[in-house]
Amino acid sequence: MMDVGRHPRINLQTYSEIDDISGYIGNFHVTVRKKARYVDESECNACGECEKVCPVVAPDEFQEGFSSRKAIYMPFPQAVPSVYILNNDNCLGHNPIACGKCAEVCEKSCIDFDMEDQLVEVDVGAIIVATGMDVYDPTEMDEYGYTRYENVITSMEFERLISAGGPTEGHFMRPTDREVPKRIGFIQCVGSRTKNGRGNPYCSNICCMNTVKDSLLLMDHYPGTEIKVFYIDIRAFGKGFEDLYQRSKQAGVQYIRGVPGEVFEDPKTKNITLTVEDTSSGAIEDHEFDMVVLATGVIPRRDSEIVRKLLSLSRTEDGFFMESHPKLKPVDAPTGGVYFAGCVESPKDVKDSVTQASAAAARSEILLNAGEISVEAITSDLIVDNCTGCGICVRVCPFNAITGGDAKAKIPVEIVEAACKGCGTCAAECNFDAILMKHFEDAQIMAQVDSILDQDPMEKIVVFACNWCSYAGADLAGLSRMQYPSSQRVIRTMCSGRVDSSFILHAFEQGAPIVLVSGCHFADCHYIDANRWTVKRVEKLWDDLEKMGIRPERLQLEWISAAEGQKWTKTMKELEEMRQAVTEEEVEQTKKVLREARLKVEAKKKAKEPKEGAAEQAPAAATA
Amino acid sequence: MEEAPFKCLRCGHEFKAPYDKKIPMERACPKCNSNSVPRMKAAPKRAEA
Repeated sequence: MMDVGRHPRINLQTYSEIDDISGYIGNFHVTVRKKARYVDESECNACGECEKVCPVVAPDEFQEGFSSRKAIYMPFPQAVPSVYILNNDNCLGHNPIACGKCAEVCEKSCIDFDMEDQLVEVDVGAIIVATGMDVYDPTEMDEYGYTRYENVITSMEFERLISAGGPTEGHFMRPTDREVPKRIGFIQCVGSRTKNGRGNPYCSNICCMNTVKDSLLLMDHYPGTEIKVFYIDIRAFGKGFEDLYQRSKQAGVQYIRGVPGEVFEDPKTKNITLTVEDTSSGAIEDHEFDMVVLATGVIPRRDSEIVRKLLSLSRTEDGFFMESHPKLKPVDAPTGGVYFAGCVESPKDVKDSVTQASAAAARSEILLNAGEISVEAITSDLIVDNCTGCGICVRVCPFNAITGGDAKAKIPVEIVEAACKGCGTCAAECNFDAILMKHFEDAQIMAQVDSILDQDPMEKIVVFACNWCSYAGADLAGLSRMQYPSSQRVIRTMCSGRVDSSFILHAFEQGAPIVLVSGCHFADCHYIDANRWTVKRVEKLWDDLEKMGIRPERLQLEWISAAEGQKWTKTMKELEEMRQAVTEEEVEQTKKVLREARLKVEAKKKAKEPKEGAAEQAPAAATA
Repeated sequence: MEEAPFKCLRCGHEFKAPYDKKIPMERACPKCNSNSVPRMKAAPKRAEA
């Protein structure tokens, strides 16, 4: 931190938040809100006189509430810059009649009660998101008695109690009587790997090794301490971790396979008793401890939704940010020029966080040093003459690659090709055919539909499959030699978001008995949230089809991942059964209804065209 | 979150699931696991004579 703070080419903005981010890869414009700390950063020399006279006492967040701080305080001993901060909510000094003592004693007159937040504008080429994680609060797991029993603490609280910089200066003691505990129990997977609605289903990655480290620390500081660890399974998979685990066992730490079901406190001694089934022996056992430590899991930061919206990111089901590709681009965000470091992407330990941070720094350097970027030739192009500036495309673009547009002033939108990833959602949503998707043009896709249904349309199922998941799922089914009916004909699009309603209606009009739209699962969408627009479009089509007397069942929607070859096979078998149930009369009726509807729309359009033409000719006629 | 009725377009199964117009969610039929599950809209009330 000190090195970073002193580095001549690093501008460290502490106690700040991001208000807004605009722009795109290589050209981001960031608005930083530098929050008022009410202490002049350039003048404060951290003498601490203000803290001494401050009459307000509040729990110290850094020490997990085990000690107190004042309203004006140093956030933590290693804070950079090493200057004081005044907590606005705690301070009485905003009414100087009530207090203002800190300002009186400050020789350098650093304290300014009138200080206000400042907005700082910064232009950057790349952004690394390293906003970290939060720790799971085990209060809801009532069976462990956290907050009910004082001697039940979390692993974070344990860290503060055993830290030399902690409230007890590293003298480990239990909260009730301040005695050194002789028997300590650790409960693993608190808030992790649960499926009962409390906690999270994922493994938090760090808790096992953290407990192993804590147990060795205790054995080192207090030899002879009786330590028992209750676990589901110990995950010691990193370099040197198994060795550390074995050392812990050799040091006398007992590992019992089973997670306690109940925790009781003896009201007199304040000792904690755990009831647990040792799954190795099947025996139900009671274990009494002076203190119990809950190895709590990690969760995504509670305010990560703000960051997600600012940078147009997407999150996986567990709430952590999704990378561009789990194997090939594990530090890149789907939004170009944005990279991840640390637990913002998934729970990870210090070593993995540093590794990812180094990779993110290197990835940014590659981008910045190149000076220019190459984009794939599948981006969208604007047909300016058709654009009315309505702005629908601006709203649906997951990458904020389309800007501007004013329908009233008839100003067309602008497409930033560098930011466009080619999902095609804009083209599918545009009502005026003003966007052309290179290599996935309307005419090209329509031609594929025509070609499929040119002969024996009743025998075909038209499938629109996204490139990344469903198409790959079909590929997997084929490679795995899974058997399924051969009636399906696949049209590949980069994203299911590209599937225009007109493609589907055209397929039905050409005699398709069944049409399937298939894409990535919600959390896996390679274009952040483009497949949400697919759902909206298909849902609207289901309604429209029903209104026109066409069975909505004939339009199917399915989320199939690249690993779900079996789901692809199952879907195709089911759709084949549905296809066989569609009669020729039904298809003919559909063709007729859709043809009539299309002709109506075309006639309306034609009726409009001469009017516009007449309007254009009018001034010319007047001049003549 | 409020629950709304859904109908599977694959197997016809009707079920209730959490629904919020503003939050798109991935849904699957609990019976056949199909994702073709539109929300069932209430039929418009007939005006009383």
